[in-house]
Amino acid sequence: MNAMSVILAMLPEHALLAGLCALILVEVAGGRGRTGLAVAFVAVAAATCAALALWFGGYAVAPFRGHFSISPQTEIAKAVILALALPVLLLSRDEFRDARFPLLLLSSLYGACLLVSSDSFLTLFLGLELMSLPVYVLVLLALQRVESAEAGLKYLILGGAATATFLMGASLLFGSSGTLSLAAFADALASPSPMTQAAVAMILCAFFLKAAVFPFHTWAPDAYEGASVPVTAYMATIIKAAVVLAVVRLFGKAEVTPQLAGLVALLPLVSIAWGNVAAIRQTSFRRMIAYSSIAHAGYLFFALLGAAGGRFQAVAFYVLAYGVMNLLAFSALPTGGDDAARDRIDNLKGLFRRRPFAAIVIGLAMLSLAGIPPLPGFVAKFLVFRNVMAAGHTWYAVLGLVGSYLGIYFYLRIIQYMFMSPDGAGVEDERPRRLAFGATLLCLVPVALLVLFPGWILGKF
Amino acid sequence: MSDAAILNLVLWLPVAGMALVWALPESRPDKVRWATFWVMVLQFVLTVWLYLRFDAEQPGLQFATRLPWIPDWGVSYLIGLDGFNVLLVLLTAFLGPLVVAGSFSAITREVKLFHAMVFLIQFAMLGTFVAQDLFLFYLFWELMLVPMFLIIGIWGGERRIYATLKFVLYTAFGSILMLAAMIYLVWTLKTTTGVNSFAFADLYGVRLPVDAQTWLFAAFALSFAIKVPVVPLHTWLPDAHVEAPTAGSAILAGVLLKMGTYGFMKLGFPLFPEAAKLATPVVMSLAVISIVYGACLALVQTDIKKIIAYSSISHLGYVMLGLASLDLIGIQGAVIQMVSHGLTAAGLFMMIGMIYERCHTRDLAAYGGLAKILPLYSVFFMLLTLGAIGLPTTSGFTGEFLSLMGAFRAAWAAWEAGVSWPLWLVGLAVTGVVLGALYMLWFAQRFLFGKLKAPHLPIVDLTAREVAILGAIVIAMFALGLFPDEPMKKTELAARQYQQLVETGGSAFASVR
Repeated sequence: MNAMSVILAMLPEHALLAGLCALILVEVAGGRGRTGLAVAFVAVAAATCAALALWFGGYAVAPFRGHFSISPQTEIAKAVILALALPVLLLSRDEFRDARFPLLLLSSLYGACLLVSSDSFLTLFLGLELMSLPVYVLVLLALQRVESAEAGLKYLILGGAATATFLMGASLLFGSSGTLSLAAFADALASPSPMTQAAVAMILCAFFLKAAVFPFHTWAPDAYEGASVPVTAYMATIIKAAVVLAVVRLFGKAEVTPQLAGLVALLPLVSIAWGNVAAIRQTSFRRMIAYSSIAHAGYLFFALLGAAGGRFQAVAFYVLAYGVMNLLAFSALPTGGDDAARDRIDNLKGLFRRRPFAAIVIGLAMLSLAGIPPLPGFVAKFLVFRNVMAAGHTWYAVLGLVGSYLGIYFYLRIIQYMFMSPDGAGVEDERPRRLAFGATLLCLVPVALLVLFPGWILGKF
Repeated sequence: MSDAAILNLVLWLPVAGMALVWALPESRPDKVRWATFWVMVLQFVLTVWLYLRFDAEQPGLQFATRLPWIPDWGVSYLIGLDGFNVLLVLLTAFLGPLVVAGSFSAITREVKLFHAMVFLIQFAMLGTFVAQDLFLFYLFWELMLVPMFLIIGIWGGERRIYATLKFVLYTAFGSILMLAAMIYLVWTLKTTTGVNSFAFADLYGVRLPVDAQTWLFAAFALSFAIKVPVVPLHTWLPDAHVEAPTAGSAILAGVLLKMGTYGFMKLGFPLFPEAAKLATPVVMSLAVISIVYGACLALVQTDIKKIIAYSSISHLGYVMLGLASLDLIGIQGAVIQMVSHGLTAAGLFMMIGMIYERCHTRDLAAYGGLAKILPLYSVFFMLLTLGAIGLPTTSGFTGEFLSLMGAFRAAWAAWEAGVSWPLWLVGLAVTGVVLGALYMLWFAQRFLFGKLKAPHLPIVDLTAREVAILGAIVIAMFALGLFPDEPMKKTELAARQYQQLVETGGSAFASVR
């Protein structure tokens, strides 16, 4: 460890930390909420640029050997995560007026960055908790409805259970291998000993819980519904992205053997089917997105079946496409009325007649999430299934694709509501939201790039 | 400008048209309509130029453009014309302006969105035909669902939501299995030959074991058969046709259904020749069942739109029969039949739309003796009816006759080799011609002749705009019926290539590039 590499390699993290300090200073100095938001936005943008610069420079150093290292891969992952946080910040303006949201968001992002750069179970744990703890508060921060408290508590308890499971698994692994290095996990995957197998299962379960994979998904619909729009957007995109990217790091170069494939594929497959089917009956938009995200967590974990070399590319590209499209949908949602009324899917009825641009944007997002070409969601899904099939798991890929078919209906239903239904009852006046519109535009740029030049972007991962 | 550039222009013109329409104000619907119309006309003119420039003597792709798009996967932007698609592209571009003109008075709300969607579907259909790369083909193939979903769902009839969801969910199911098969196919190509490509020409060279071929053929065939549609996968079609607005029905019947048969011709059979040959009895039987069953269903309908909808199922059965016969005449007949059905079905659907705009009912029992008050309408209706039943000198005759003749020749050869079932099937298919004449003439008789009956009188006869639309279709129909030589020559080499591909299993096809 030398000072120079610590300063340089952790530049994105430092930017976030500087942002945090500045936010606290602004808060102490009694600055207005808008200043706080601007500071946070600048900090995240700077961190994104730093990550991109490090990636572009091709740096690969380990400032804390065995615990924390960077490589072009980790930096592009961080860049994706941080860039996705920018629209989230813009969205938050409508819900949160003070500096609490950006403060918590920045610390959570710090954890996410740590997570995708970690080399040992210690830093992994640190990152995981640093990322999760602020989110428990964020869910409660909305507290516009009674259910928010319940949802927050549910999330906290299940998140705690995940932490405990993770720690148990990590200590079992430490007991059998004598090391805290993440490489121990990849070795353990191939090991026949029951103790390491139990450790692998526990660690995987913890990540399944964090990413809301069936049957560990039950917290997600409540938490998503109870939280506010920006927090839901954050949980659905960035938390999920960071968790799955961490799992890819955990799997490292380990190949999924046919014996293991059943285990790795089973829960994601069920998750795809269950998420897509359960989403059909929802009446709350955020609850529907929660089930959709359960299905998408399935696709993401499905990507682990692919060959080790292509996993990172598949997951990172998927996370980018999925995140951008989700944020696009959230940024264009109609406002007006209280949170519970706004959240009803019925509220989208006749949206095209009221706000054509918003309806088209949400429609694009839904089609992309459903995997209709040529939208980014299709290319991402294609990549995942191509890798899975190339690794020889043909039937799993077919089942996964059939599962993804189940999802088409409920996405189309949203489009049907927006374009084909008469106005929903009790639609109130909608105030213009300039920042949210900015978020829409911010998301449309990568969408256009992903549609027109998918090959170019794929080459970057 | 080179011809390849013109082909690109033809393909991308609808996208420019969408932008143009979007820039116009919603408060001036006529401007939107005329702008769309003229862009479509321009597209048609350019397509005619390409058609004339198309060299029938030259095998393989013409006016091709190839640009790498996703190099990691071997996906390229590869488009071009060949004997398979040249007529279908012409048909699509021909129907485009007519469909727009036919909707001038029918579409009164969300005019901008409607025309944008017509452009989008035009883009998707042309793209599906000209794509010579499987990935690109799939992209356009799926993209088609979106505008059709909206066209039926927004401007459709009473049960439009049900119909449009049924249409999309049906078609998407086929597509998802095709996607799986496609990934497998391309991966096999890469691992066995080291060629990382989605280009059709390269994929024709994949040598697969028969059992893998069977699975993949099943997946592709399911997707195409839903689109055609082949009985028993046809149940989405009557609903979609009946609920769709006139433009939607005309596009569906005119072009969309041909994607299925085109898919069989371009991909299904040539990519998996052994499996396709094994499946020939099934394909031929289903084709004949479609012919006869579709005709029988059309016979008993009381909704005038449903009669034409079911007749489409019957008519596309001939196409499938001609394709499965692997006889040169039969294949060319199938192509002509595709175009012919595109003309007559689109024309008839537009005529039904015209009467519906005047009387607001599709119940056949409500009409009768229209010939007395609508002479012009009746003349055009009879002409299109005669085209649909395949009266000599119309395109329907050329298409049906050649398809059946090809099938008969193949069946006769099989008979001489000691296999008798094909001959029985072809014999059964011929009864479809009789049934076809029966239901169409009976329909025309009840509709146009007899005692005058209409939901309300007076009804005005065709306007100049409507006469122009129908006139164009009827002229095209007779042109194709009287002078089928020229278009058939343009498809001949492609038909030979198709035949050779399926019979020899790909090896002779390095030259299809």
